[in-house]
Amino acid sequence: MIRTIIAAAFIIFGLLLFAVEIYGVNRFSFIMNRMHAAAIGDTLAMMSCMAGLIIYSGFNFTSLKLLLVVVFLCFSSPVSSHLIMNLEVETNEKANTHYEEETLTDEDDRLDDEEA
Amino acid sequence: MSRLRPSHQNKREFRFKEWMDGSVDPYLGNLEMKPQQLTEETKEQFDERIQDYVRLNAELYDTEKNKGVRMFRILYRISSVIWIALLIGVMLLTVSHLPPNGDPDNPVNNEVSKRYIEQGLQETGAVNIVTGMILDYRAFDTFGESNVLFIATVTVLILLRKNQKMHNEKDMKEDQDDEKYEPQSDTILKTVAKVLVPVIFVFGLYVILNGHLGPGGGFSGGAIMGAGLILYCITFGFEKTERFFTEKTYKWISFTALSVYCLSKAYSFYTGANGLHSHIPLGTPGAILSSGLIFVLNICVGMVVTITMYTFYAMFRKGDF
Repeated sequence: MIRTIIAAAFIIFGLLLFAVEIYGVNRFSFIMNRMHAAAIGDTLAMMSCMAGLIIYSGFNFTSLKLLLVVVFLCFSSPVSSHLIMNLEVETNEKANTHYEEETLTDEDDRLDDEEA
Repeated sequence: MSRLRPSHQNKREFRFKEWMDGSVDPYLGNLEMKPQQLTEETKEQFDERIQDYVRLNAELYDTEKNKGVRMFRILYRISSVIWIALLIGVMLLTVSHLPPNGDPDNPVNNEVSKRYIEQGLQETGAVNIVTGMILDYRAFDTFGESNVLFIATVTVLILLRKNQKMHNEKDMKEDQDDEKYEPQSDTILKTVAKVLVPVIFVFGLYVILNGHLGPGGGFSGGAIMGAGLILYCITFGFEKTERFFTEKTYKWISFTALSVYCLSKAYSFYTGANGLHSHIPLGTPGAILSSGLIFVLNICVGMVVTITMYTFYAMFRKGDF
């Protein structure tokens, strides 16, 4: 019983995050903002839903396969976001009106040196 | 029949071999052919076309001046709303007449599904009843599906495959332009693909080989393995995939898989139809080497699906193998 409640809580949290994701994707107008919203859904929301399902099914072979899905998404979703972003920066003709590129100053260099 | 060719070249076998190899174009010389011309328009024609376009938009489609267009647009919107409402009504009416969900007297619950559930394990040896159905009771249907995939791939190859002999300078320049936007030099993608591709392949193999024991089978496992191949191709390019997957590989894998499927199923159909004893052991249900032909057929279907997915991707990405 407690297990069902915990699992349901996880899944509902994931679904709420999905709602936030869909709202954000439709609300924002520039690709980078929209992708930020979409990446939340791909990583945290999916992980939360899968965690809920794993808890619900208990520890068996099915839950191991679900864990594999989580690991796979963990690897692949950020990479796909990174690639789409790369393509956007390279090909967008109105780049300067959508975002500004940050140029490194001396202050940044000094901070980097201190960290390293 | 040409009298100019030596006599052995007029033989039917030789002509068939020529036709198979594709070394002679059978239409060349027998059919009137005219190469396509590029249509080029002059400056005056271009100006005229643009002027026509502007005038049409300004005068004919202006709702202020043209009352007919205005009426038509209003009618169009109203009638489309009515039409969609009608369609929704018909569908809802149909749904309300469907039998209730889970009723034992539904027409779905007839003797066919009863037999699948009660005797599927004894007759096919597959723990997964769905695999037992699609690869044993309905194996002919699945064979047709595999052939559909094969024919679709062949059609795509005919339409999109590049002819290496006609690769000229313009194509080379196009290739270079395409390479600019390809993620092949990306370190992050390469690192991730190195970890992920083997895992995807092992998981796809597991799904194919475990098709008669759990959820999965040839189609889903083949789709997973095809996705792994596509990821490998995106990351490392066609030079790396060409080392193990070329047009010849495609030819031989599809030929082997489809003929193994055809012959093994022909054997079991023949024995089944004539009431003969089949020599294929079913094994103990639950073991990995069990359920007779289903294990082999799963591998065949998986291979066909894998190469179909990869070939589609390679062809639509202007690839050549």
